[in-house]
Amino acid sequence: MQKNLMSTLALLACCLATSVAAAPGTVLRDEKLYSQPSATASVAATVSKGASVTILAKQGGWLRITAGQNTGWIRLLSVRAGAGGVGSAGIGDVVGVATTRSDPSRVVAVAGLRGLSDEELKQAGFNADELVRLESLSVSAAQAMAFAGQSGLSAASVQALPAPGGAQSSSTWESN
Amino acid sequence: MNTKLMLLAVPLFVFGGSASAFDFGKLLEDRLNQKLNKNAPVQQAPTSAAAAPPQGKQKVDPVQLGFALFGDYSLEEENRIGRQISGNLLGAVPLVRDDKLQRYVNLVGGWVAQNSGRKDLTWRFGVLDTEAINAFAAPGGYIFVTKGLYRRLNSEAELAGVLGHEIAHVTQKHHLKVLKQSSLIGALGQVASSKARGSDQMVQNLIGNGAEILARGLDKNAEYEADRVGVVYAARAGYEPWGLPGVLQDLAGLPSGDARTSLLYKTHPHPADRLAVLGDAVGNRFDEVNGKTLTDRFYRIR
Repeated sequence: MQKNLMSTLALLACCLATSVAAAPGTVLRDEKLYSQPSATASVAATVSKGASVTILAKQGGWLRITAGQNTGWIRLLSVRAGAGGVGSAGIGDVVGVATTRSDPSRVVAVAGLRGLSDEELKQAGFNADELVRLESLSVSAAQAMAFAGQSGLSAASVQALPAPGGAQSSSTWESN
Repeated sequence: MNTKLMLLAVPLFVFGGSASAFDFGKLLEDRLNQKLNKNAPVQQAPTSAAAAPPQGKQKVDPVQLGFALFGDYSLEEENRIGRQISGNLLGAVPLVRDDKLQRYVNLVGGWVAQNSGRKDLTWRFGVLDTEAINAFAAPGGYIFVTKGLYRRLNSEAELAGVLGHEIAHVTQKHHLKVLKQSSLIGALGQVASSKARGSDQMVQNLIGNGAEILARGLDKNAEYEADRVGVVYAARAGYEPWGLPGVLQDLAGLPSGDARTSLLYKTHPHPADRLAVLGDAVGNRFDEVNGKTLTDRFYRIR
């Protein structure tokens, strides 16, 4: 019985929300914390831009977070994961910024795997064989549509998003 | 040569007067020659004495004129430019040797692209064999995702979000706009070479060295726009719109100083900024949008 209950709970958790290893995050705008992952749910608390939070789970467009004494659901786009803070235009020295400030010598130390450099792109010569290969792997529009249909995907009517009016903030990658 | 003159002359009918139009064509032709054969002396056309207007009367800036006449690249030119950039990119890093993976990405990307509204292109998608975390788009419908980025994805909706962002770069012609700013005349090359298998020198002159156009990156507002437009493409294709935001969250949590993201650092705004800017645009607009995540169907790299 106990075991059944446990597995049921586990299944529920799996289907409803993806638990993530508790990760640090920062609130990107003054925002509400809801009791459920829905804007129609009751508001549990409010959080301020720049607040440090712990991310507990993810479900669709929502994150379950703990902010101070409060736990609740916040819009996915109102929080950033990572300990780098909101960026240069925001609160500034949130946890992590000062200690992880970029240092060129760290680049090699941290990196286990090699990237792709701008110099490699600049020096690159034309590879006709790979291009032929790319062409040979492409699919027709009909094939792509059929593949979409196999999983029940169908075209949805979604309005374009508005372009911003105001100035934008800027963070640096180095603040991570 | 004849082909060039034809190309130059045809759009000039827009301006009316055919006599002066031919002079404009000559101006552009000279500039093209200068550009392509920097060492060769500029040729004087034998007809210039008879046809050219008196010196000083006609002050036409060829570049200005070029913008007026050739404000947009033709589809043919767009395809050639994209093909050259992609061939160079593939010279720097080849495709992953996994045909199932490549087919899967083409099927997903092809469907998202069909929902972009741009139907005049042949879309091609490829996964690049590098641990770098990045994605690229080139004009004409060439889209690439690195293996390093692909490995971090968790669902088909996330893949659709990433591809949607890159597809948006193509539909919004972000790279073509950059090329237009830096060089215009070079695009007026021969049409004939488009079917050739190898490198297209005419286009290479336009795009600079190798695939450096991809290393230089775009204006950050172009990236923000691609985020806004790309999430909508994925949602219109029936996916939940939270794929790209989920990937940006993942990238935001990566430590700085990771060599896999060094080029991404240079060419894109910080993911925290992208989340914030995208969040401003989205607000509650996706609250009623329900789409599929398709975690099970997502193809995982061996």
